[in-house]
This record gives sequence, structure tokens and C-alpha cells, in this order.
Amino acid sequence: MNDLTRPRVIGQRTPRIDGEFKLTGRAGYTGELHAEGMLYGYPVPATIAHGKLEALELDEAQAMPGVVDIFHHGNFDTLHRSPNSMGHGDQVSEVRLPFEDETIHYHGQYVALVVAKTFEQARAAAYRVVARYRQASGAVPSLLGRDDEGLPIESEGSSRGDPEAAFSGAPVKIDRTYHIAAESHLQMEMHATLAEWHDGGRRLVVHESTQGVVYQRNAMARIFDLAQEDLEVISHYIGSGFGNKLFMWPHAVATAVAARRLQRPVKVVLPRQQDMMSGGNRPASRQHIRLGAGRDGRLTSVIHDSITETSLVDRYIDSCGSATPSFYACDNLAVSQRILPVNHGTPCPMRAPGEVSGIFALETAMDELAVELKMDPVELRLRNYAESDPESGLPWSSKQLDKCLQSAAERFGWDKRNPEVGSMRDGDEIIGYGMASCTWFAGRQPCQARVELRADGSLFVGCGTQDIGTGTYTIVAQTAAELTGMPLADIEVKLGESGLPSGPLSGGSMATASTLPAVAAAVRDALDALKEVATGNGGAFEGLSADDLEVGQGGLSHGEHRVSFAEVLKTNKLASVNGQGSTAPGAEQNAYSFRSFGAHFVEVRFDPGISRVRVARVVSSMDIGRAINPPAARNQVEGGIIMGIGMGLFEQLEYDPRDARLINSNVADYILPTHADAPEIDVELLDYPDFEFNEFGARGVGEIGLTGVAPAISNALYHATGKRHRDLPITIEALLASS
Amino acid sequence: MMDDSAHSPRPSDETVRLDFTLNGEPRTIEVAPNAVLLDVLREQLGLGGTKKGCDHGQCGACTVHVDGLAMNSCLRLAIMCQGQQVTTIEGLAKDGQLHPVQQSFLECDAYQCGYCTPGQMMSATALLADDRIGADDASVKEAMSGNICRCGAYKNILEAIQQARVQLGHDATTPRKEDVA
Repeated sequence: MNDLTRPRVIGQRTPRIDGEFKLTGRAGYTGELHAEGMLYGYPVPATIAHGKLEALELDEAQAMPGVVDIFHHGNFDTLHRSPNSMGHGDQVSEVRLPFEDETIHYHGQYVALVVAKTFEQARAAAYRVVARYRQASGAVPSLLGRDDEGLPIESEGSSRGDPEAAFSGAPVKIDRTYHIAAESHLQMEMHATLAEWHDGGRRLVVHESTQGVVYQRNAMARIFDLAQEDLEVISHYIGSGFGNKLFMWPHAVATAVAARRLQRPVKVVLPRQQDMMSGGNRPASRQHIRLGAGRDGRLTSVIHDSITETSLVDRYIDSCGSATPSFYACDNLAVSQRILPVNHGTPCPMRAPGEVSGIFALETAMDELAVELKMDPVELRLRNYAESDPESGLPWSSKQLDKCLQSAAERFGWDKRNPEVGSMRDGDEIIGYGMASCTWFAGRQPCQARVELRADGSLFVGCGTQDIGTGTYTIVAQTAAELTGMPLADIEVKLGESGLPSGPLSGGSMATASTLPAVAAAVRDALDALKEVATGNGGAFEGLSADDLEVGQGGLSHGEHRVSFAEVLKTNKLASVNGQGSTAPGAEQNAYSFRSFGAHFVEVRFDPGISRVRVARVVSSMDIGRAINPPAARNQVEGGIIMGIGMGLFEQLEYDPRDARLINSNVADYILPTHADAPEIDVELLDYPDFEFNEFGARGVGEIGLTGVAPAISNALYHATGKRHRDLPITIEALLASS
Repeated sequence: MMDDSAHSPRPSDETVRLDFTLNGEPRTIEVAPNAVLLDVLREQLGLGGTKKGCDHGQCGACTVHVDGLAMNSCLRLAIMCQGQQVTTIEGLAKDGQLHPVQQSFLECDAYQCGYCTPGQMMSATALLADDRIGADDASVKEAMSGNICRCGAYKNILEAIQQARVQLGHDATTPRKEDVA
């Protein structure tokens, strides 16, 4: 029963246990929650990106129907400084507190929060707040396009060998610069907070759409000087977050202050425009890649220098080169990172942060090298295959990239590719085949969980992590079902409350590998407690030793004698037994290097007559260890592919070069992949459980599917058109210039 | 200062009476004249299943049926629904049984975070009963393109819609209006 190498429920297709709530509209996302006497807040965003707020004229807004109060720099509470530490679990997205001073650092920065009795009243009054600004000159609208701008970040650097000498001596060289536009997470549910104070302002309950209830609880406890026990952050359903809901933003602080002052619950749902301006973005990047290789295709030097944007109020590092040192076998390598403060809302992690950008540059450069060498791009990758991690020197726990490349190439029909540019046609369309490898590190965080086995026949699991749509509720239930033999219907899972045992962020593709071991430990602990009851005085198996008992089908047994968990508890008049689990990464971290790998093969169809490109087909193979719930895991990869098509062809936050104002802060002008853009997708999940990483063999799957998609598209476009696209997104304007 | 409403007349706190049918039940409520159907559903009537993703008719998360047609409830003042039949996701399941579209979304894992999902299903239900829309994948994808899914579950959503089509026992050439809830 407890043999996770041959599971019965783990690894099986399991419909989501929260599915019916989501599909009937009963799942309560933050923005639709209500509280007795609740008021509505509507923020007023700055309309300049750089300067000073000189005056706020509030009389007209204040006199509007239903308005209760307006919060701003002139009347805002003095708070404690925001903490900002990953190590202490209280990192925030933007360390500047709301309304802290009158300096405007970016378009959309909050200048006021209007609170009224209804949403309509708050919105109407927010429109009547008049802000007077003094615009400063010298707004920095974006990366300026120089290799030496910004601040060097030594901690993100890596080097080995003598890459400069090896590059200058290399028989074949690639020396190129790549640019990726800033992107919006555009998670479907905007940031939202509902704050309620209790016990005369001594206790705070915050409903937040967040990927990290524990982090937000810890940060707010510091800002409001509350004991952690007096602050609860709740997030049962999250309309996704692709990194921009990992850490708290200022709207949550403003909402909590308003609720405290007004002694009423206050709800704020950011309007989409403000969510895009001030709720996080993937910063633009400029990457300079130099590859040196022999005529046989073996890399002799890799030099990867990156610059990314940060804001003027924070210091966010989107580490583009973080996968590069581990990607290919090469003795001479250097990676560097710089950041440039610009007048944008603060950037933050966005799905596969840093690495997805770095892999675009590296895997496009590898395609350029393959063209230069007249070598098949798959063959070039196999020639530089890293059999162990060249960065750490450690063996991989499990790496099946070669199998991914071979399997995906075969299913795609790569052998039918004529390498000559523009040689494959179908009617008016030119067909391009391109490919890229992909990777994402496998990480694990400490996690705690609690289990109750109850006399009513149910099992409860609680953990302070979240389900952002990846299926965490379901895989936690699968784990409990696996270890107890109970049906899923009898298992209750509670996540998304900071008062539960401390769980990990839903980020970095780490939630599965972090959470399930703790859940398993808690289940086993509860089963041990149950066996103790069963074998003790008056127990169902009195006189036997706990080791004599087998666990299965929701009961304990000894030979033919089987008693359900519920009966064991009832026999001893017990309501329940509890189990605790607490797990963390261990010594394996020093013995192996852990990474997932994969490969994407893409067919594009380019119609030169109307300069239209379509991604027609994507065939991918992913080595992610074991998938706990294969359909949900495949869904993650398929979703990553869709987001990769957006990154490759559509998505860019456009900032006005004159004044750094965000131009396209809405869902129509910021172009996203739709149903009609979705290609035929064939995703294979290789099943090589990584038992060195954890007993479930799972490495996580949230981000890897996105990495490698954009370069596979740009490489396919080169094959179709002969024009190399080094800037993302590859817009119709860029395509027109190439046809 | 936001330009788009700077010259609009000052709103009062008066309300207007709205008589309409919501998920099959006749309702009479008082609404602010500037209240949008989406906000009335979510904030006044406590029907949170209809989602707000953009408030500008750009994402489709707020799709409901008004007299059998799929509409963005964020682009519709509540008072425009006078005498009309409004169906939300809460009205799609009947007698505790999931609608075939909901059932196939469950089986096909046609969602992740679930936030765009009610809108996807309301659009899907309407298009399956609309004889102007072909039954082929390309036609369905085109017709569904007003509903953004940022999780990118498009493949499974398409599969779910086509599976529901089979379960509803008809194709685009034989539409049955009563399938529109």
C-alpha cells in the first residue's frame, strides 16, 4: 500500500476535486466575496510616470453620493516599514508602501483610494479626484540599448574556464543580441483584497488572491505590528497568478488601512488597467550571446550577458542566464546580469522568470550556429549534451533530454524537414520547421501539513499552500488516498489559509515536490497514531503490535480481521486522531543536480502575400519526473505552449518613449493568444520518476512548458523565410520587413 | 483625472426598478441606473459565478445569456435587461445535474484556475445551439475567440465542447434552441 514506486492513485487520471465548484460558479474567488457592512475601494492611479504629485483636489469627489472617505499621502496612516526577505518568508512585490511620499515613479502608482458604499459610487468618485502633477524630465521609458547600462549584479554571475580567449580562438563564432519586450501576466482574475478587522482593531483577516498566504501574512504582520496569530490571510480560489501574485502589492496594505480606519470591511478589486500598470510585469530584456564552436559543432565558449529592467522603487532581478551554465557541456563559460531602473511599475517573476528569456536567446543562437555549421539543430544539441551538470559538477538525478529530443522529433516528422530555407510549401504558405530544447530547475521548499482521521469516516488534510489552478487540491487528495486506500470522496483538503501548517509559495514549479512529502508524512503520522489506538487498551486490535497491522482500503487489518479507520476510532470513543508532517530538502541536494528538460518541435505556416504567420503544430516531450495527475500536468505544459506563442508572436507592454506612460493597458491592445491561435498540440510526458528528489518522483511542471517555445517558433520562421528574428514579439511589422 | 467621464453628469444615489427573469425565477430589484449587469450579479445578487476579467468586453469572462444569446454582462447596464431572461452559470446545471457542457469540461480537464471557465461554458452552450456556427474545430475556435483563457487550456476546452456536442445529440446542422439554458 505505501509503496510509492508502484502507486494506484498517484499517476492516474483523476478529475479535479474542486472541479464541480469551479464549473458551477460556487468557487469563491476573492473579488466576489462579501462581508457584513462591506465598503468598496477604488484606487486612483497617477497619470504621469515621473515627477511629483503637487496637489489633490478632493472636494468634489468627497461630496459624491455614497463616498465614505478618501485615503492619500496627506492622511494615510504611518506604518512600519515593509519587510522584504525571501529568507524570512516575508518578501513583498513592491517594498514602497502606498502613498509613502509624493514622488511619482511610474504611471499607475496609486495617489488615492476612494472608499464608498457601492462599487459604482467608489468608481464614480475616483474619476472626480483631481490630481495636479509636476512632470519631471528624464523619464526612462525602457532599456536604452547599450551593453553597459544599468547596475551589474555580481551575485547572478557565473564563470568557468577562459571564455573570452576560447571565443576569440574559436573557428566558428556566433555573436548576436536579442531583445524581449516587457510582458503582462494578465492573469484572468485581477489582484483583489478584502480586509476585515476584528476585536477592535487587534485582529486582521485578509482575503487576497495570492500565490503565497504565508508570505503575505508574515509581511503584513510586520507592517501592522501584529502577532502572526492575529492575522489570517485566506485564498481558497485564485484566478491564477503567473508570479505576480507570489508577493504582496501595495493595494493590500491600502485596503487594510482603510478597513481599520473606517472600522468596516473594505474590498478592492484592481481595475484591469491598474492591474497591468502596477500589479507586476515581466521586464524587458536585452541579451548579448557569444558562442564559440569547433567545426564539429562542439561548443568551446558560451558568453551570455543580460540586462533587464527594474523599477525606481525596487530592485527586481530577472536572472536571464540562470539556466545557461547547466545547459550545454562547455568548459569555457561566462554569464553576467545587469539591471536598469526604468519608470515602470515594479517587475516581478513571471512564469519561468529569467530562464524563459535566457533560453530564447541561447536556443536561437544555437540555431544560428547550426545554420552556420550546416548541421541539423537536433544533432548540434546532442553533440553538446551535458551528461552531468557542468555548473555544479554533480550528476543529474535523472535526465532524459536525449529521449525527449528523439521522441518529439519522431512524432513531429522532423526527418521530413528539408533544411533549405523556404523549400517546404503548401499552396500559398511556406512551411517552417523549428525546434528548441527547454529546461527548468527543480526546487523544493520546506513544508508542513496536518491530517485528521475522523470517526465519521473522513480524512482531513490541511496545508498553507495554494491551488492556483495547477491541481494542488487534487494531488494532495490523491496522496492521502494512495496512502490510506480511502476513496477521494472521503478526503477533505483545505489549502490557502495562513493559519494552516506553513506551506510553500505556489511558484517556481515547487509546490508539488514541496507539499506532497509533508502530506505523506502527516498521513503516516496519523496512521501511526491510529495503530497505537487500535493496539492499545480496549482497541480493535488490542494486544497486537502496530507492526502487525496492514493499512488498506480505509482500514487496518491483521490477516482476515479488518476494521475501518472509523470503527477503530469509534471503538475507543475517539473523534479523531491527528498527524503532523514537516519535510524539507535534505542531503540529496549536495549529491545531485535536479532539473527538468524537454523539447519543442514547431511547425509555422507563413503566408508571404499577407505577411501572416500561424503556429500550426507543436509536438513536445517533457521529462518532469512523475506526473501525479497526468491530465493536469499535461494541461500545464499545453498552457505553457500557448503562453509561449504569445511571447513569440504577440505580447508586449508598450511604453511611450516620450514619457514612459503605459500605452496598452487593456486586454484588446495587449494582444494575447486566443482559441483561434491555438495550434494542434501533442504533449508527451515521459515517465521517469525522480526518486532522488522525493519519494513521489515528481519534479514539478508549471513553467517548463513555456521555456523553449518562443525560440522554436523563431527558428521555424527562419527556416520558412530566411530572416532571423532576434526581437520578441515577432510582430507583423517585423514579418513585413522580412517578406 | 480620468478623461472618459470628466464631463458626465453628476450621478445621484437614486435607484430604478428592474423586473427580469434570472435563472428561471422572476425577480424585481432596485438598481443604480449606472450599474452594470455584471456588478449587479456579483455585488448585489451574490452570484459570483459570472467573472470580471477586464470590464471592457475584451476577455469574455463575464459571458451570460440574455434571451438565449451569449453577451458580455460587463457591457450591459442592468436596466437594459428589463423584462428579459438572464441566465448565468449558476443556472446552467438543472436539478443538481451538471449540464453536458459542464460535465465534459470536468472530464476533459478543460480549465486550470477556473476563472474564465464560466464564461467559456456560457459561450460554448450558446454556440452549440447556434446554427450559424459550424461544427468543425476551426469554426468553434473562431466562435470561442472572445473568451480568453490565460492558463491556455484551449485544447481541452475545444475537446470538451466537441464532446458535449455529441452528448447533446446534435451537430451544427440540427440546432436545438432549448439547449440554450
